Amino acid sequence: MKKSWIIALNTFHESLRKKTLYIVLVFGLVVIGASRLFSFLTAQEELKMIQDVSFSAIEFFGALIAIFGSLGAISSEIEKRTIYTLLSKPITRPHFVIGKFIGQKLILLINFVLLCLFFIGLLLFKKSMPNVEIFKALFLIYVELLLISSITLALATFTSDAFNIIFSFFLYIVGHLTSYGRQLLERTENIILKGLGDMLYTLVPNYENFAIRDKVVVGVPVSWQYVGKTTAYGIIYIVIAILIGIYFFQKREV
Amino acid sequence: MALIETKDLTKIYELGWNKKVIGLNQVNLQIEEGEIFGILGPNGSGKTTCLKLLLGVLFPTSGEALIMGKGPLDVNMKKHVGFLPENPYYYDYLTGPELLKFYGRLFDLSPAEINNRTARLLEMVGLAGAKRLSLRHYSKGMLERIGLAASLINDPKILVLDEPTTGLDPIGCKETRDLLLQLNQQGKTILLSSHFLSEVERVCSRIAIFHRGNLIEQGTLKELIGQYQANTLEDLFVKSIEKFDQQHPA
Repeated sequence: MKKSWIIALNTFHESLRKKTLYIVLVFGLVVIGASRLFSFLTAQEELKMIQDVSFSAIEFFGALIAIFGSLGAISSEIEKRTIYTLLSKPITRPHFVIGKFIGQKLILLINFVLLCLFFIGLLLFKKSMPNVEIFKALFLIYVELLLISSITLALATFTSDAFNIIFSFFLYIVGHLTSYGRQLLERTENIILKGLGDMLYTLVPNYENFAIRDKVVVGVPVSWQYVGKTTAYGIIYIVIAILIGIYFFQKREV
Repeated sequence: MALIETKDLTKIYELGWNKKVIGLNQVNLQIEEGEIFGILGPNGSGKTTCLKLLLGVLFPTSGEALIMGKGPLDVNMKKHVGFLPENPYYYDYLTGPELLKFYGRLFDLSPAEINNRTARLLEMVGLAGAKRLSLRHYSKGMLERIGLAASLINDPKILVLDEPTTGLDPIGCKETRDLLLQLNQQGKTILLSSHFLSEVERVCSRIAIFHRGNLIEQGTLKELIGQYQANTLEDLFVKSIEKFDQQHPA
């Protein structure tokens, strides 16, 4: 684990140099800040609008950071040939993959915290104390972002950047639509279609599970039990993604 | 027992649908402790493939690659190996000392050990004055030097060097040669691949010539020159390759 941590810190420092992530972060902050433009609404409606826009911006720009940050984590080591020297050191390939996973999660955490601080600052500016429900929603968004980042990194161990970016965004969109897809398929009587739908529903993580923001914005409380269950659901997929990443990277020639 | 050994080591690259290229063909090498062993060969002859297989960067199609009797993925074996790749690339946002610290930590060295070795190695490769410069500002020759320092951070028993003098000026080349001889006198076994014949001639105790993925000759320089009735290493190199091409037309 120590070796993975050393690689993670190196990955973290490397990611801090990527300008793309800063651009995405700035866009995120601008969008959250722009939610103040709804000041013509009543105070209560404005707060709801700020929360709604901010949750969406944190999730969307967080997803962009998760995907773009993880995208080149492995391929850049191969393209720049830094991997030759690294793999000749006393580390195993799982050390390398886990180190990359942890390093990307650290960079994601920093960006996420900055977006959240800006959002909370905006609420405080509007003299609205953030309640625990807001933190529950933010926490589940972070778990979702960890999952998105893990999937992109797992794909990076065996696919090209071009395929990875397309597939990661495809999964992100499909992951938000699986619940609707399942509802539609429940109406069909075609067994094959139903079976395929069930298989897809199991394989593709349902990102809508993490989206409790609509409830939080309108003041509907979400139980801790739900938060715990959804976190466990996310962790299971994250662990599977890490194992897939390790499996493919152990077979990969660089 | 040889310190570095390959047994029928073969690597076939699969380049898409039904297209295969032989990278290395049943190579048997034996390198004893304390040797400076040179691998020679034209571009694409399999030199780098052989080194990558020994270090576990590539996987063999068949055969075995062993260092200290262990396979290329053995973590304990890697603690005793230093590697300098061809045209080394490093994390360009790091400075020289930061790079050595990063690699030193992967060898479980203590911070004190890392600091001592870093100062000594930077002095040795002539980069003590460039401590604050990030690697992106290094010249090709400086990268080669920091690569050499990085390969020595763990004080390895075995040094594997792929084209260690590429990019160095004549003085840098001479300094590297002297350094290799000095490291060898300290007991380090060195395996180096090069297409600079004069460099190999001056430092290597034994050589192997690779061509089209095959190990076509190995032995001491004196033995091989006698065998081919050659005047120089260059003459020997050309004659051995011509003989192989005649016997094995492409």
